Amino acid sequence: MHLTDDDLILRFYGETSPDEQRRIDEHLRTCSACREGWSELGETLRMVDAAIVPEPPEGFERIVWARVAQQLPEQRSGWTWRQLVPVLSFAAVILAIATLGLQWWAAVPASPDQVADATPGGRGPSTTERVLLTALDDHFEQAERLLVEVMNAPDGADAGSDYERVAADDLLASSRLYRLTAEQTGQRQFVQLLEDLEPVLVEVARRPERVDQQEIESLRTRIDDDALLFKVRALSHEIRERQQDIMTTNEGGL
Amino acid sequence: MKQMQLDDAAAVAKARGGDHEAFRTLVERHSRSIYRLAYRMTGRPEDAEDVVQETLVRAYRQLSRFESRANFATWLYRIGFNCAIDYMRARPHRESTEPHETLDRMPAGGHTPSMDDLVYAGEISERVQEALNELSAQERAAFLMRHYHGCSIDEICSALDLKSNAAKHSIFRAVKKMRIALRPLMKAGVGN
Repeated sequence: MHLTDDDLILRFYGETSPDEQRRIDEHLRTCSACREGWSELGETLRMVDAAIVPEPPEGFERIVWARVAQQLPEQRSGWTWRQLVPVLSFAAVILAIATLGLQWWAAVPASPDQVADATPGGRGPSTTERVLLTALDDHFEQAERLLVEVMNAPDGADAGSDYERVAADDLLASSRLYRLTAEQTGQRQFVQLLEDLEPVLVEVARRPERVDQQEIESLRTRIDDDALLFKVRALSHEIRERQQDIMTTNEGGL
Repeated sequence: MKQMQLDDAAAVAKARGGDHEAFRTLVERHSRSIYRLAYRMTGRPEDAEDVVQETLVRAYRQLSRFESRANFATWLYRIGFNCAIDYMRARPHRESTEPHETLDRMPAGGHTPSMDDLVYAGEISERVQEALNELSAQERAAFLMRHYHGCSIDEICSALDLKSNAAKHSIFRAVKKMRIALRPLMKAGVGN
């Protein structure tokens, strides 16, 4: 029995198993009709190689870049995840030290002046609160960036990049510490938002490499329904206002 | 460090962080090869240019999905083929390329071909393109990936989301079209 065209094509492109290849090669040695077909196939496909592809005009790369650049998002001025990981870790350690310090301080009997500082009419927010505000400012900025990426990633089978997973994991680790500190300093609105964010961060951090489109949509619906992006932006704005107030108070006190 | 010295992996890493100059390095390095792929898919320079642009924008948006161990050019080709398929499906009734334009825009460099060579190569190109035009966008992509880019059937299946039999069938159909289209030239060539 002669070889089929399909056999020859698969053999030409090296898509046959070793056994199949041996069978085809042995047949070609003994069958002149199939050998002719094989030879014609080779010649045809070598001619295909000779087909000309016109070169684009000179300066093509510059023209392409000019067009592509217009469609790219604005260049990020913030830090990258890789840069932020050590900074956030450092901030978390500082915050932990400040929290422990506060607990120790609270255990020591306070002088009247110190009590006055801690009361609403006192000279201002505690060190822990200031550190917390700074840390949360970064934390919410990164959370916002991650949420935007989850919401805007192009549809496709493989979501869940390493980049997003690592970012979510880092945010999750620092979130727990910040939530604890916010609870201890009575910052209820921060506690609430950190709690709302956590399930989303857990889901992104634990995503497999390939995610069903339905799961991506479900996550996006949850982010939308909980108005997470809006809440993150609103609280980030409040944090910056409070930081500004602290700076103004400090300048006034000098 | 100058951006031009960045290899693909380093440029991708920087571009992921939002560095547009790093992405520009990648665009300048790969846009011509994407153009060739797009031209073979669409058969028209204007369409090929549109596909190049869309491929690079799509690649930028998907940079976070690029596995750093993979080859960037191969990854970009996959996006390029899928962009070309989408483009052709969206605009299925475009006319094929004009042979004279093809001859006018011959590749530069190498030996200077004779007029006979040019005419012969022009005829081959025209017939190859005509044969490609008779295939669906997906069949065309499967054949081009196999023939010009050396992709295995498995890689084609993965890139184009095809079953193995469908990928093989696309290649069989394309080769049969090529045989029919080029047979007259082959005999003439043998006679020359």
